[in-house]
Amino acid sequence: MKMEDMPLSGPDNTKLEALVHDIYSELVEDACLGLCFEVHRAVKQGYFFLDETDQESMKEFEIVDQPGVDIFGQVYNQWKNKECECPNCKRLIAASRFAPHLEKCLGMGRNSSRIANRRLASNNNMSKSESDQEDNDDLNDNDWSYGAEKKARKRKSDKNQNSPRRSKSIKHKNGELGSSVSSEPYKYNYNTGISYETLGPDEVRSLLTTQCGVISEHTKKMCTRSQRCPQHTDEQRRAVRVFLLGPSAPSLPDADTVVESDSFDIPDGQTLMSRLQWEDSPDISPADSASSKASTNHSDSRRPKKKKRPSLGLNSGGGGSLTGGGGSSSSSSQSNISLSTKKKRPKLSAPSISSIYDDLN
Amino acid sequence: MSPAGCPHVNSFKVDNWKQNLRVIYQCFVWSGSAETRKRKAKSCICHMCGAHLNRLHSCLYCVFFACFAKKHIHEHAKSKRHNLAIDLLYGGIYCFMCQDYIYDKDMEQIAKEEQRKAWKIQGKTGSMRSFECALCASGIGEKYSTWEPTKRELELLRHNPKRRRITSNCTIGLRGLINLGNTCFMNCIVQALTHTPLLRDFFLSDRHKCEMQSNSCLVCEMSQLFQEFYSGHRSPHIPFRLLHLVWTHARHLAGYEQQDAHEFLIAALDVLHRHCKDDNGKKANNPNHCNCIIDQIFTGGLQSDVTCQVCHGVSTTIDPFWDISLDLPGSSTPFWPLSPGGDGSALNGESHTTGATTLTDCLRRFTRPEHLGSSAKIKCSGCHSYQESTKQLTMKKLPIVACFHLKRFEHSAKLRRKITTYVSFPLELDMTPFMASSKESRMNGQYQQTVDPFNNDNKYSLFAVVNHQGTLESGHYTTFIRQHKDQWFKCDDAIITKASIKDVLDSEGYLLFYHKQFLEYE
Repeated sequence: MKMEDMPLSGPDNTKLEALVHDIYSELVEDACLGLCFEVHRAVKQGYFFLDETDQESMKEFEIVDQPGVDIFGQVYNQWKNKECECPNCKRLIAASRFAPHLEKCLGMGRNSSRIANRRLASNNNMSKSESDQEDNDDLNDNDWSYGAEKKARKRKSDKNQNSPRRSKSIKHKNGELGSSVSSEPYKYNYNTGISYETLGPDEVRSLLTTQCGVISEHTKKMCTRSQRCPQHTDEQRRAVRVFLLGPSAPSLPDADTVVESDSFDIPDGQTLMSRLQWEDSPDISPADSASSKASTNHSDSRRPKKKKRPSLGLNSGGGGSLTGGGGSSSSSSQSNISLSTKKKRPKLSAPSISSIYDDLN
Repeated sequence: MSPAGCPHVNSFKVDNWKQNLRVIYQCFVWSGSAETRKRKAKSCICHMCGAHLNRLHSCLYCVFFACFAKKHIHEHAKSKRHNLAIDLLYGGIYCFMCQDYIYDKDMEQIAKEEQRKAWKIQGKTGSMRSFECALCASGIGEKYSTWEPTKRELELLRHNPKRRRITSNCTIGLRGLINLGNTCFMNCIVQALTHTPLLRDFFLSDRHKCEMQSNSCLVCEMSQLFQEFYSGHRSPHIPFRLLHLVWTHARHLAGYEQQDAHEFLIAALDVLHRHCKDDNGKKANNPNHCNCIIDQIFTGGLQSDVTCQVCHGVSTTIDPFWDISLDLPGSSTPFWPLSPGGDGSALNGESHTTGATTLTDCLRRFTRPEHLGSSAKIKCSGCHSYQESTKQLTMKKLPIVACFHLKRFEHSAKLRRKITTYVSFPLELDMTPFMASSKESRMNGQYQQTVDPFNNDNKYSLFAVVNHQGTLESGHYTTFIRQHKDQWFKCDDAIITKASIKDVLDSEGYLLFYHKQFLEYE
């Protein structure tokens, strides 16, 4: 029965009204009591004052509404140097270039299949040695360009094996590792590295005569690049030889063949010549990669590799310009060379090298 | 014993005290069924003064009711040395020695259980129309109690007094997103999704239980994204993992090129939906009955009625949808004329400046009956022959979040262009005229719908607008999002700035996100 239906006048009305009023006030009182109990309980249990915010925190997160800055009070466009790690290949990529990198890394997108097909085609045509050359394209990726300083960190030899560029080359290399080491010591084997544990001392020794051999922290494998490999210093190379071959091991095999002299003579020209007959050098210098900014650059397998200028213009005194140091001077230092080969830097005597490196460092 | 308890309860906690306490709660405090309520009403009076109210208490040691206000229960306690009494209204336990209400852990546990039981019973009988009953009736059967910290949590909170409180002038919840290389289409959808209230609540209360073995669950990544947004960091977030996951799961989207935000939205919802489905194991097989959060929020039902012109038989199908794509004037498909019965725009109070198309215009066009023409005859089951027909689309079930997609990118055979016609859209939208139920009443001759002010089911509020600047080939996406009731912010990749409502309503509009104003329990 609604209130509106009741007669507005009548003897029962006041009683009714009083009753209604009673009920109403009781309801309100009960509701207030409930609230009191809530507060009482909160205070007694100790959580009543817990959500009070301190002034400092309030100020910290206040919205800023001024021209030229965003709501955090920061100036626009200061986020140029953000980096992230690619989930696929684990490299550090600049954030604003992440999408194009990921596209290539995952092998999606318009360009990737074109590149992959071209590589496959060229692989079939070329000989195996030339296919080695291809692999170097991996490192000439434009993504390396900005990170020249960080190459030590980025040159992880355990790149993602699933990366499309990797897959073909590995198949060739792994099976032939052993043989190539012994039979073709001067053949450049560019693969992920050699696990020194599996090799016997003789193999290690012969390996170390031709290759850099520095053991990567990440993969525990030996670097298979040349002795002039820019990623590792001579100090490291010496340490590795000591580690693997004992304290009596020469830091670099050249010490045996090259007489320690002030001037750079080539004592055993023949040996040196043959040593220089490497098919190609792993000339991965930041300068190279810096030039290959275009995304399709590395796909051109026929592109002649930028060779490091042979650094044979050495002065007497054991010093001399050496392009091997970091490789950054590869394009800059032009030194005349007594050897007519167009390629490699020759091995230098150990003492002179170390001092040269010290200079450059 | 918790700090809020008292030592005096120990004398009570002997023998069969638990059962006794339960009985007291069941009979005299939380009355579940009608009989117990009657009994309570009849028997609970003060044994001293006969009052029914005045904060009646029951002695815990013996059967004695007395009122608190007149101190009758105090007298009983003193004379009988029964030091505990229970408040019959709220179930609080009063200790006369401590002279205060105490909160003993064990006793509270019993109280809570009995309360829940009573609610369940109330729900089943459905006799009362109280708020709690409405909750119970839905089968939930449990009141949503507020969070209370445990002892350990209390300690932690006391030791760490710094608080990050989300007030209306707070930047928490807002964060920029770095552009990873033409990924503004992804950034704008992420901003819209992270500011969808229900989705935000779902993820912040940690409701996703991941059952995927690998690391590639997109829902987990969304959860992580919310954590990043509410972390209080000011530097923009780099959504590279999100991009990687979306490209892995939606291959058709992968590729470094400019893409369509709407396409990304659908693909993202699809992947989220698929990954969420793993949560509801048994329901995964039936796509129509998925109960994942994505479906609960975004899925609506579109009713398509095909009416045979000859026998007027109607064949109805209902299709699920996540968004509503609306044609615009200026496209090659004809926009006008509309069906008669120009309701809608007056209802929604849009500023109908001469010539400006409104969102409701577009919706009216969307839901108009369309003659399918003689070239598209449908086989009518009534006539058993091919007849001309009309088709009409209406909303059968409205989603909680309605996304309107204005088809600005025309890819017809003749031309490819962007339609930049300004379409005005309202802050508040009433979808009632476009519902299937409205259509029925319209067909029954009621053209002007009497708007029921108490029917709030179909009222929506705008909370996100995605805009595109530029041409078909290249352009840039930005988003306006609503953070608190009336605060709008413009999200332009890494830059978040405050915006006015006028900025929002004057913008071109490409994707419009509306959220239901009132949510009902199902």
